[in-house]
Amino acid sequence: MSFGDAFFGISWLDIIIRTLIVVIAMTVVVIYLTYGERKVVARFQMRLGPTRTGPAGLLQGVADALKLVVKEDLRPRNADRWVFEFAPYATFVPVFLVLLTLPFAENWGVRNLALGMFFVFAVLGLNIVGVLMAGFGSGNKYALLGGVRAAAQMISYEIPLVVALLTVAMLAGTLDLNLIASLQGDRPFILVQPLAFVIFFIALLSELHRAPFDIPVAESEIVGGYFVEYSGIRWSMFQLAEYAALWGFSIFGSVIFLGGWNFPFGSEVGVGLQLALTLIKSTLMILLIFWVRATMPRLRMDQLMSFCWKVLIEISFVLLLITGFFLYYNWPQEILALVNWGGALLLLTVIFIRTRRKSEAEDLVGTYKNIEVTE
Amino acid sequence: MITEILWWFFAIAIVGTAAGVVFSRSVVHAAIFLILSLAGVGGLYIFLTVEFVALVQFLIYGGAVTVLILLALMMTRLDATGAPDKLTGPQAPFGALVGITLLLTLVGVSLATAWPGDVDDLPTNITIEQIGDVMFTSYGAPFIIASALLLVAFIGAIVFAKQEDEV
Repeated sequence: MSFGDAFFGISWLDIIIRTLIVVIAMTVVVIYLTYGERKVVARFQMRLGPTRTGPAGLLQGVADALKLVVKEDLRPRNADRWVFEFAPYATFVPVFLVLLTLPFAENWGVRNLALGMFFVFAVLGLNIVGVLMAGFGSGNKYALLGGVRAAAQMISYEIPLVVALLTVAMLAGTLDLNLIASLQGDRPFILVQPLAFVIFFIALLSELHRAPFDIPVAESEIVGGYFVEYSGIRWSMFQLAEYAALWGFSIFGSVIFLGGWNFPFGSEVGVGLQLALTLIKSTLMILLIFWVRATMPRLRMDQLMSFCWKVLIEISFVLLLITGFFLYYNWPQEILALVNWGGALLLLTVIFIRTRRKSEAEDLVGTYKNIEVTE
Repeated sequence: MITEILWWFFAIAIVGTAAGVVFSRSVVHAAIFLILSLAGVGGLYIFLTVEFVALVQFLIYGGAVTVLILLALMMTRLDATGAPDKLTGPQAPFGALVGITLLLTLVGVSLATAWPGDVDDLPTNITIEQIGDVMFTSYGAPFIIASALLLVAFIGAIVFAKQEDEV
C-alpha cells in the first residue's frame, strides 16, 4: 500500500475523498486550535480562559465561527474591489496546498511528492502575495504598510527557514517527506541537527506571524495590520489560513525533525498509532509555539529584521557548510551532533542573555538613530 | 483525455492572464495578473513532468520576483485618486518594436529548431539528482559565475540601502 495506489476506488475519486478528509480534519482542528490557544495562554497568565460555552468552554470555537459567518461583510468604499475580495483566498490556497503533501502516517496523505519539501518552500513564497493583495486592496495606507511589513518579514525569514531545512535534507539525501520520516526510525533528526531545529523554529514563528514576531498582526498596536479592513467571513478566512498554517507547519516540522509517525527509537507500529504519534508530536510543536507566545515580549521591527539578517542567516549558512564538510568527508555524525548541540545551546544562551539585558532606551523613540539630512 | 482538458485550461488561463497584464488599467492589477500567468506556466511544466522546474517557477517567479515588483509598485506608484493609468505613452513605438522583434525571434527559433521531443510524444522524467549532478559537474563554472553575480547585486543593494552615518 503506497501513495500511488487508489484506496478509495478510482484514482480521481480517491484524490477527492482524501482531500475532503483533510479539509474536514483541518476545519475541526482550526476551530479547536483557537480554543486551545486561548485556554493554554490563559493558564500561562493564571486565568481560566473560555469556560461558559459548552462543558469547559469546548464549544467556544464553534460559537466564534458561527458569529463570524453571520457577521456583516464590509468592504471599504475606496477598496480595490477584486483585489480586496480575492486576497483571503490567495492567502488560504498556499496553506492548503501544504497540507496536501504532508504524510500523516506511513504512506498516508493526499499525495506524496518526490520533491515534497521543495514544494512546501515554493507555496510558502506564494503566501506573501495574498498578504500584499490584502494590504493593497483595502485602500487604506495603514493596511498597505502592514502588508508591506508582513511581506518584508516573511521574505526575510524564509531564507533561514529554507537553509535550516536543507541541512536536514542533506543528511537525509532526499526531499521526499515520507522518506525523510521513515529514515528517522532509530533517531529523529532533532538529535543530530538541534541547531537546525532552533533556526527552523524561530523562522517558523515569524512565517506564521506568531509572537514574539507577530508584528504584522500585533493586535495591541496596529489592530490587525494588513487585514485591518476585513470583517466577517473574509476575516475568518485569514484566521483559518493562519491556524491551518500553524497546524500544517507543526506537522511538517514534526515530520522533518521529530520523526513524524515513527515511534521514538524504532519499533514498528500500526496506522492508527502512527496517526496518533503524528498528532502528539505536532501538538508538542504547537504547545511550544503557544508557550513562546505567552512568555516572550514582542520584538520591534528593526530588531526583528536585524536578528534575521545578522544572526539567523549567518548561522544557518555556517551550519550548511559544516554539514557539507561532514557529509563529504564521511566524518561521524555523532561529532556533527555534538557541534550542533553546542551551537544550539550557544544560540539559545545568547538569545536568553540579550532578552535579560536592560533597555538602552532614553525616550519613547527607543534606540532608533536620528537620521541627519544633509543637502 | 483529462490531461488534454487540463492543458487547454492552463493554456487559456495563461494567455488570458497575460492579456490581463497588458490591458489592465492599474499597474498593481497587471502585477497580480503576471503572478497568475507565471504560475500557469509553472503548471505547464508539470505536464512536461519537470516538477523541479515547475516548483522553481512557482518559487522564483510566482513568489519572489513578482512580490518584489508588487512591493516596489505599492511603495512608489500608489495613486490616491484611483484614476486608471493610460495604456499608451510616448514610449509606445519602441515598446511595439521590442515586442514584435521578440515575437518574431521566438516564433522563428521555435519553428527552425529540430526539437528532440518530436521523436516520440513521451517526455523524459528528469529527477533532481540528475539536475544536481549536471549542475555541479559539467556546469560548475556557470553556476559559480551566477552566484558571484547575485552576490555582487546583493552587496550593491546593501550599499544603496545603508544609511551613511559614519562616513
